[in-house]
Amino acid sequence: MKTKDINVAILRIEGTNCEQESYDAFKRLGANPEFVHLKQLLHIDCDKNEIRDLSQYQCLMVPGGFSAGDYIRAGAIFAARIKSKLQTPLKNFVEQEYPVLGICNGFQVLTELGLLPGIDTIISPIPDACLNINDSNRYECRPTLLKHENKGKCVFTKNLKKNEIRLIPSAHAEGKLMFPLEKQNEYLKKLENNDQIVFRYVDPDGNYAGYPWNPNGSMSNIAGICNHIGNVFGMMPHPERSFYRYQHPDWTQTGLSPSEGDGQAIFTSVVDYISKRF
Amino acid sequence: MSIDHLLKKKKLSFDLYEIDVFSANDSELQELSSTLGLALALDEMKRIKEYFQKKKRLPTDVELQALGQAWSEHCCYKSSKIPLKQYIFGVAEKKIAAREDAGVIEFDKDYYYCVKLESHNHPSAIEPYGGAATGIGGVVRDVVCMGSQPIAFVDPLFFGPLDYPVDKLPKGVKHPRYLFKGVVDGIRDYGNRIGIPTISGQVYFHPGYLGNCLVNVGCIGILKKNELVHSAAKAPGNVYVYVGGKTGRDGIHGVTFASAELTDESEESSRSAVQVGDPITKEPVIHATLEINRKGLLEGLKDFGGGGLSCVCGELAYAAGFGAEIHLDNVPLKEEGLKPWEVWVSESQERMMLMVDPKNVPQVLHICKQWDVFAAPIGSVIKDEVVRVFYKGERILEMDLEFLTGGPVYDTCIRPYVLPKPEHVEKNEKSFSMPKLGESLQKILSSANIASKEWVIRQYDHEVRGNTVIKPLQGKMNNESHGDAAVIKPLENSWKGLAVTADVNPRFMAINPYWGSCAAMDEMCRNLVAVGARPDSLLDCLNFGNPEKPERMGEIYETCRGLGEMARALDLPFASGNVSLYNESFVSSVPPTPELMGIGIVQDIRNCVTTDFKKEGNMVYLIGNETKKELGGSEYYHLMNVDGGLVPRSDVSLLKTCIDGVLSAIDKKYIAACHDVSEGGIAVCLSEMAIGGNLGANIDITEVGADLRTDFKLFSESNTRWVAEVKSEKQMDFEKLLIKKHAPFICIGKTKGLSLIITDNKKTVIDMTIPSLRDCWAHTIWNTMG
Repeated sequence: MKTKDINVAILRIEGTNCEQESYDAFKRLGANPEFVHLKQLLHIDCDKNEIRDLSQYQCLMVPGGFSAGDYIRAGAIFAARIKSKLQTPLKNFVEQEYPVLGICNGFQVLTELGLLPGIDTIISPIPDACLNINDSNRYECRPTLLKHENKGKCVFTKNLKKNEIRLIPSAHAEGKLMFPLEKQNEYLKKLENNDQIVFRYVDPDGNYAGYPWNPNGSMSNIAGICNHIGNVFGMMPHPERSFYRYQHPDWTQTGLSPSEGDGQAIFTSVVDYISKRF
Repeated sequence: MSIDHLLKKKKLSFDLYEIDVFSANDSELQELSSTLGLALALDEMKRIKEYFQKKKRLPTDVELQALGQAWSEHCCYKSSKIPLKQYIFGVAEKKIAAREDAGVIEFDKDYYYCVKLESHNHPSAIEPYGGAATGIGGVVRDVVCMGSQPIAFVDPLFFGPLDYPVDKLPKGVKHPRYLFKGVVDGIRDYGNRIGIPTISGQVYFHPGYLGNCLVNVGCIGILKKNELVHSAAKAPGNVYVYVGGKTGRDGIHGVTFASAELTDESEESSRSAVQVGDPITKEPVIHATLEINRKGLLEGLKDFGGGGLSCVCGELAYAAGFGAEIHLDNVPLKEEGLKPWEVWVSESQERMMLMVDPKNVPQVLHICKQWDVFAAPIGSVIKDEVVRVFYKGERILEMDLEFLTGGPVYDTCIRPYVLPKPEHVEKNEKSFSMPKLGESLQKILSSANIASKEWVIRQYDHEVRGNTVIKPLQGKMNNESHGDAAVIKPLENSWKGLAVTADVNPRFMAINPYWGSCAAMDEMCRNLVAVGARPDSLLDCLNFGNPEKPERMGEIYETCRGLGEMARALDLPFASGNVSLYNESFVSSVPPTPELMGIGIVQDIRNCVTTDFKKEGNMVYLIGNETKKELGGSEYYHLMNVDGGLVPRSDVSLLKTCIDGVLSAIDKKYIAACHDVSEGGIAVCLSEMAIGGNLGANIDITEVGADLRTDFKLFSESNTRWVAEVKSEKQMDFEKLLIKKHAPFICIGKTKGLSLIITDNKKTVIDMTIPSLRDCWAHTIWNTMG
């Protein structure tokens, strides 16, 4: 399909924050993003012309922020609201291999929803992982370097080379990926075998390093994962915040060429994927 | 003395009192004012008595409470009006497109930027988390209510010393560490949750803030010119639509509480004056309000600030020469049993008042409903300049707006003042022998006021919205140092940027309010210029002690004189301002603190410059003013326990010349890094540039301040100076350009290696590796705050 016909739902509820820059990322590439309040998908308090269905979109994105305040585990409230009514359409959406992207709070939401890690099911009835409080026990906004470790499954990183290092900044209080303790090794092995690990935090030399290079203490330095199909992807850092080079924190050191930022490839990859696949 | 006999309960299904001011004598009037928490002076109570005598009826408690709010110091600038009028008002006013709850100034041909800076000092001293959070909540509403999308926060904070001995803490005073943590937590949890980046600020520690911390909050917004909305009704019949949070008992008498000194009992007596913030109610309120405005459904808009419903309803009508009729029954409540006067003056957060044409009301309510934001029509604008309030069918308030909202005019009531005599202090400068300079630099770098503020900055999301193109921390990843200003690129299709900084030096101010104010203006300009921005406007938040004390009033006069003279000479408009008085407790008074927030325009953000050294072999220059023996209030004298000394002077014509020189050199891309010289002098300036770039320099200061002693050369805080790293291949062009621009400069060295080496007259006076500089500078606040 043509890029301009790709409808992207930027899903939001109260407390969703990063929707404008997420919208801009798709818009700049020529796709057709739209802010969609969850109530429009649930058909609550809507006029006729405001009603939306998931089937109208080729990509669903859950942006960052503090959905509903995140006063309980991050993403849990947003996930519960989606799950109560939209589980079936969402499952169909993923089964049809339409891509779903969750960034920061969106990653937390997809995890709470049971869409991620998605090792052998599309949507698990209870969450199989969680994004726990950072080891530093505080919210931190800092640049992070991510090494792309996916071998080709993830549809959001097809335009990235393996082992490439990208600067994509983080800003969160709860980004430490954890699995149930007794299943930790098993899950990690499965994720690796299934090619579900997409990004790991590294230092400028590409080494796995401790804090602050890994800003949250995430298990095995994992920054982003996809499901077993490769079309549901969640990451803590914000690629929409390094879409252009001038958004990089150190651009006055490194210069403004090329003008693309390190996060742009996430969006070009998925747009390319959709236009080829559908 | 009991005044119970003056309170006459009316026979109604709810609590309403008539207050018998007619039979009250003077002392009973004063007692009424204090018992009812009105904070009105006797003269004002008498004026109220006269008004109702003419009306031939007794006032209700609701009416007295409304007057208490409307007339309080906070709302009508009783004490500061004269000095403000004399010095501040009328500077470069042409540039200001609108000045209501926030100031509005042209950004480009299609857009305005909108700015506001205010204080939330007293609430934060009592309840730091809630006080700071609701400070953010308040300032963002001010920017939204002009119709603008908020794009950045600025948070200058002032506390007592972090290492103040706990056992010496006076009763009722909270430890600076507790306040600092609470305030930062509050700003973080509120600012991050509503998705607006906090990009700039200031953190300062001084014993004067022990009993009264200062929490100033600034906000910037951007709006299309045709989306500007005013805080006024358009026509009779306009409907008051109440939008947002419910009304509760929190934040009652916030305004009157801000207009009195804090005591050791403030904790108990004033807790109810601190509001409760709810960012997740606020965030959709902002969305809904801006959407309603974009769709052209608004006649007027105002946020609920000090004085609650009472002020917002009155002011919207008064500004347009109309009146209002309001029905309290429709106001949503947090709890049962609120008395009507409580509903009328409560300062509960997250509320906006929309003025809507009746035909648009259904659409407005629909948009709010979609965002799950409460909205209800509660009254309408009427032709007569009267405000009438009804509850359960009963008229509980009726006053002329001219009397209620117009407020008393105080120009004739001049507070006495005594001008400070800083000459005595400045002359009293004891001499001392030069210490080991390496050790002095280490101590200064690790002092709380100089040390890295990363602990604070990283807890704020400074990048959300994706427009922060120059960050508050600058340099190589995980080696960053402080920047001078942050820059936002607010529009998708324009390279134009807005630079923001916040400054004042309280130690200068404590010694010499006039020159201290000039220095604050000078530093504000330097910071903006250092990133490549031309200063465009400023905001002042004037934080002072008790204005009833003539010395404090004198400080206010001298501060306003300094700010006004500098602004006039620089042609910089005061986009908006705020006065916060009574920042004085039984422990201490704050040093005069005119916090300045400077806004600069960057024509093309791709030309911006940061403070970190970039490349080995580049030349290092000191641009601007001569380095003088001006160390009064400096970090170095503080370290050496020297009280006197000259506070740095500012020469505004030199400043203007240098601004032009530095900006044209940045525009021509001659400059790779630029940092203003302020606290800690060139020694600290160079250290920060080296830390951020992870690159050292060989510096020779022989020519700096020619005859000065080495320590004064290193640590003098003389104004109007920048250190610039100039690209080696552009050295000649750079020098030619600055000569042409008449901006003085000295070449002081080269970037080189991994150490900062400074020599004076061929003698090495500083030789420190970058890791050791970073080690001194990076950890102080982390180690104290954890």
